[in-house]
Amino acid sequence: MIFNFQQAIRALILLAFTILIFHLHFTGDITKFINPKYVGLSQSASIIFLLLFFIQITRIWTNRENHHDRCHHNHDDHNCEHHHDHGNTPFTVKKLFSYLIIISPLLSGFLLPAKILDAAIAEKKGGMAILTNQKQMADAGLNNGSSENNNKTGTEERYVDDNTEENEIDENLLIHENADPNDLEQNTITKDEYEQLTQELLQNSNIVMDEAMFATYYDEISMNIDKYKGKNIELTGFVYKEAGLKQEQLVISRYLISHCVADASIIGFLTELPEASSIKEDTWIKAKGILDVTTYNGTVLPYIKITNWEKVSEPKEPYLYPLNIKVL
Amino acid sequence: MNRIIRGNIIDITGILIIALALFLVSLSSGVKVSSDFPPSLLNLNTIFLSILIEALPFVLIGVLIAGMIQIFVTEEHIQRWIPKNKIMAVIMSCVVGALFPACECGIVPIVRRLVSKGVPIYAAMGFMLTGPLINPIVIASTYMAFGNDIKIAGLRMGLGFIIAIIVAMIVSMLFKGNQFKASLHLSHSHEQVKDETFMNRFWSMLTHSIDEFFDMAKYLIMGAFLAAFVQTYMPAKSLLEAGSGPVSSLLVMMGLAYVLSLCSEADAFIGASFSNLFPTPSILGFLIFGPMIDLKNTLMMLSVFRFKFVFGVLSIVASIIFITLMLLKGFI
Repeated sequence: MIFNFQQAIRALILLAFTILIFHLHFTGDITKFINPKYVGLSQSASIIFLLLFFIQITRIWTNRENHHDRCHHNHDDHNCEHHHDHGNTPFTVKKLFSYLIIISPLLSGFLLPAKILDAAIAEKKGGMAILTNQKQMADAGLNNGSSENNNKTGTEERYVDDNTEENEIDENLLIHENADPNDLEQNTITKDEYEQLTQELLQNSNIVMDEAMFATYYDEISMNIDKYKGKNIELTGFVYKEAGLKQEQLVISRYLISHCVADASIIGFLTELPEASSIKEDTWIKAKGILDVTTYNGTVLPYIKITNWEKVSEPKEPYLYPLNIKVL
Repeated sequence: MNRIIRGNIIDITGILIIALALFLVSLSSGVKVSSDFPPSLLNLNTIFLSILIEALPFVLIGVLIAGMIQIFVTEEHIQRWIPKNKIMAVIMSCVVGALFPACECGIVPIVRRLVSKGVPIYAAMGFMLTGPLINPIVIASTYMAFGNDIKIAGLRMGLGFIIAIIVAMIVSMLFKGNQFKASLHLSHSHEQVKDETFMNRFWSMLTHSIDEFFDMAKYLIMGAFLAAFVQTYMPAKSLLEAGSGPVSSLLVMMGLAYVLSLCSEADAFIGASFSNLFPTPSILGFLIFGPMIDLKNTLMMLSVFRFKFVFGVLSIVASIIFITLMLLKGFI
């Protein structure tokens, strides 16, 4: 019997992958990496790894006779050279290097904590440039006069302010009832339900941006800014700032994960609140305010005038996941 | 005593390895790195791992299919299936690729195995280019990402299909043979396997899959790392500012698609977030180029094919997409 050291290493690596993925699922950290929709897929990866591990352990000990397994049988031709490594060839520095590469995600996965993407990444992803260009769709729908509107600080704004106090009372008018938890878990709604949701959103004077609906409402509001102007809005997000924002401005943003963290896209509202300069980036805040319209670098954007806000701790599920609309 | 150990040696090693792994895991939980670790490195690590976690199921499915092809498909099958006519072969391979719901991370091992079984290199490329690009999940996600509008999704699939055919044609003219790296010899025929029982064949399919996984994993991991590195440290902003004209914006979007190495099922949402900063042809460049070839994929291809071939294909794909979109930009 011969002990194949490399085969043993491979078995260990396969098992380590199984455990790493299982560990992430077990601790719930997996949602810090991928959209929960794909959790089943990565669980099956873990199971396949486990199966492969069980197969791999049978290769650790080989009898001297069939050491070169099947190659031994047809030696008359020289076709035997496999074009991939069976793990039986001598251990070289090059191989050590490849094994080191393979174990690097295992090490970093076990040793380093999963991090929620922060504002630094938002900046790398394009920050306001991305936010403003998402809104250009809405731009087309707006008349040219709209950009002037938000510069008029006089009567109009006061009117909006009055509106707030009135509306703050009827907070019960939330649109929560639409959100059937079962549907949201699957994150799938039908097209009719979607239309209905946006209809109700239009009629409501209070908009609550809860986790499940954040992205959908965000799109809807961005596309039809004028229709939502003056409504109350309540949202939670982390603070993002960049050069070019005014002292009293900040962006309340969230990441939208369609598949995994690597494809996170940033969405967020430009907001105005007097204490903005004192709030650090990456602080999670819960804010209430009134929707307005502004222009930023020539683009018309929804703009929230914050009426009250508080610091909150990072939510359990900091990421948003897109709502799937059944097309058929 | 000795005999007992010999009889159960596999069980014993298995248990020992499990024990060792659990020991290492419990050890690691004790030495969690403290919070003063640079946050940008943690970001990098999180993105890196997320790309891997997302890709691993597809890679595993890919290597299992590759293992299946290795054991159950013979050269004669391939010879019978692939049309002799080059043009027919290319079209067929693109259609098969379009019907085959693959992901770009899982497709390289399959392509490699097909080529080693005698599939002509141009047909394999046609398959590789349409596989990840055209499949139901990609169509659905593109449709959704672009505000439930079928136009972009349709253009993505239609143009992608035509581009794949053109590229495969050019490959058929420029490259002969299997283009495997010199260090990899074209394989052994598994003729002798025919006599073996189904169980044995199934077993060797699985062991082949394991070897395939270890071949691919290091390239996948390097690719994932590079893509994560780019995401963490490269400011997209400067890129966005660079891409103002139609030409430069197309180049920027194709460059982004290449370095970000997103999964074809998810890239539509990223593409959509650029959709009014850049004109439609540039967005299509992003959506078509990314699934065909990206950084992660190039590295995986380099593990199999010659350097010259990989970069040949890369530049053909890039230039055909570029030229097609430039020509059509008035119509889109």
